[in-house]
Amino acid sequence: MRNRRFISFLLVMLLGGAACSRSAKTKKLDIVLVTKALDSEFWQRLKSGAEQAARQNPEVRLAVLAPEREINIDQQVAILEDQILKRVAALAVAPAGVAEIIPVLEKARAAGIPVLIVDTDIPWPHRAGFVGIDNRLGGRMAAEFIVRAIGGRGKVAVIRGVLGVATQEDRLAGFLDVIQKVPGIHFVGAQPANSERALGMTVMENLLTRHPDLRAVFATNDQMALGAMEAIAARNLTGKIVLVGFDAGREAVRAVLDGRMDAVVAQFPERIGERAIQEAIKAARGQPVEKFVDIGTGLVTRENAHEFLR
Amino acid sequence: MTAMPAWLARAASEALRRFGPLLALLLMAAALSLLSEHFLTLDNLLNVFRQSAVNALLALGQLTVIITAGIDLSVGSLLGLSCVLAAMALKAGVPSAAAVLLALATGAVLGALNGILFTKLRLPHPFIPTLGMMNVARGLALVLTGGFPISELPSPFRFWGAGAVAGIPMPVIVVLFFCVLFHLFLTRTTPGRDLYAIGGNRQAALLCGVPVDRRLILAYSLSGLMAGAGAVILAGRMNSGFPLAGVGAELDSIAAVIIGGASFFGGVGTVLGTLVGALIMGVLRNGLNLLNVSAYWQTVVIGAVIVAAVWVDVVRQRAAPGR
Repeated sequence: MRNRRFISFLLVMLLGGAACSRSAKTKKLDIVLVTKALDSEFWQRLKSGAEQAARQNPEVRLAVLAPEREINIDQQVAILEDQILKRVAALAVAPAGVAEIIPVLEKARAAGIPVLIVDTDIPWPHRAGFVGIDNRLGGRMAAEFIVRAIGGRGKVAVIRGVLGVATQEDRLAGFLDVIQKVPGIHFVGAQPANSERALGMTVMENLLTRHPDLRAVFATNDQMALGAMEAIAARNLTGKIVLVGFDAGREAVRAVLDGRMDAVVAQFPERIGERAIQEAIKAARGQPVEKFVDIGTGLVTRENAHEFLR
Repeated sequence: MTAMPAWLARAASEALRRFGPLLALLLMAAALSLLSEHFLTLDNLLNVFRQSAVNALLALGQLTVIITAGIDLSVGSLLGLSCVLAAMALKAGVPSAAAVLLALATGAVLGALNGILFTKLRLPHPFIPTLGMMNVARGLALVLTGGFPISELPSPFRFWGAGAVAGIPMPVIVVLFFCVLFHLFLTRTTPGRDLYAIGGNRQAALLCGVPVDRRLILAYSLSGLMAGAGAVILAGRMNSGFPLAGVGAELDSIAAVIIGGASFFGGVGTVLGTLVGALIMGVLRNGLNLLNVSAYWQTVVIGAVIVAAVWVDVVRQRAAPGR
């Protein structure tokens, strides 16, 4: 559908002529999900869950849009401005920034469009509701696994995503809650890698140079963990450094299964996407929306990894 | 081509150069208004202008540099650093007007430094100093903030990015103001016209007594100044000075200038063309957003438009006799 629209757009540009006006006569409920990006399995799966929910409601017309990269906050703001203008029935947004995104959400409110927040909660009192996970708990789970795996002794580092974003801050905070109570563990710091794989690898290389005696690393998303995994493998340290990721995409789960990664905190992005759209539909219809929906997390280890590959 | 009288070919070529980008913009707008009922509304057009404002400002600066056959890769990072410094100053209790001046001065001074590095250190190409500055400025922005965005800025400062006068958003007013200023500077003043001479033939300009180094430093300083202006608009609009602001913006600004008909070889380029170039990019992004086309397709289209714009220019130059 999107492709056809795009091709017809190109045709019109080339011919400079008239285009077929493609107007839907039936009254559709337009719901738009704007994610931080679509460049990882996490967002793709969240998207497919959202589409699943939309299919169950034939009167809903769903569009899923995102900026090119998670750091392109201004692009996300532009996408939202354009959708607000179309007076869509409801918006579901995974905010790429916190304060940066609130001005445009205020515009949505002024236009009477309910906004459901997905994945990354923000301190905006007018959100219709939130669907996501308890990231702090996820961070604690990662820390508890690491403490056990290294016997409560040694140097530990974190590779983290964009600073100032709630998901990232919460995962780190939860991790530190646990780590800092264990006297034998020396926390050497949290290095940002923008949730990107290539940067995750670079940061890990630098960490290994700086701290040859590093025992464990927590990467706050899969992409960075997979990058870090490559850096660890390149130094033949696989299995010697405990590596824990977050999200549990297929690639990461497979890495856990064959021992290149030790554990990964699992989110269930399809369920997040599906529930987000269900709540957004409620909001669009003016029905009451649950204020905070916790989809829950799990921990993938070698013992249970096969269950997550189904 | 042989059938066409020389004067006609020249006139057609000139018309294409002057109005080609504008024509393309109008065609695009016409197509989009057919495809989306939301495109041709006042609110949406204001959206397009608002969304294009930062790129338009950066592109004006980039234009002055490209006219001299140069390039400024540092504008995105200078924007980020200016953003962060202004936000930090505001947090320290500096009044809004002073923070605006600080952002502009940061851009202008570091821009001038680009020019000084290029001319006085005789670096082989402006690519080098501005590439260096791109990294240094971004690094400083990240170091100063520790990577954290500095948000919740006071409203007098935010006015420049988020406010409006008589229904016209401030970013639009700021862009129009600088367009007029740059147009007058480039066409009506000696330093401005010298930039075209330098871009046309630096050696000849030198022999004609143009103070080439001083003019080049001025051009890079203006480019930096526009990065500072873009920073004020963006930080105001987003209510935040974030250290990753403007990542990749240098390429967008170069694209706008090239789509707007300026030549990478220097000596050619207008403010109107550049403004139209920035609007073409803004209209494309906005239109594709309205049609729910993904951001990935948007970059494909913009890439194609850049190549097409330059190709049209090449065809035009080949067709034009006596060039």
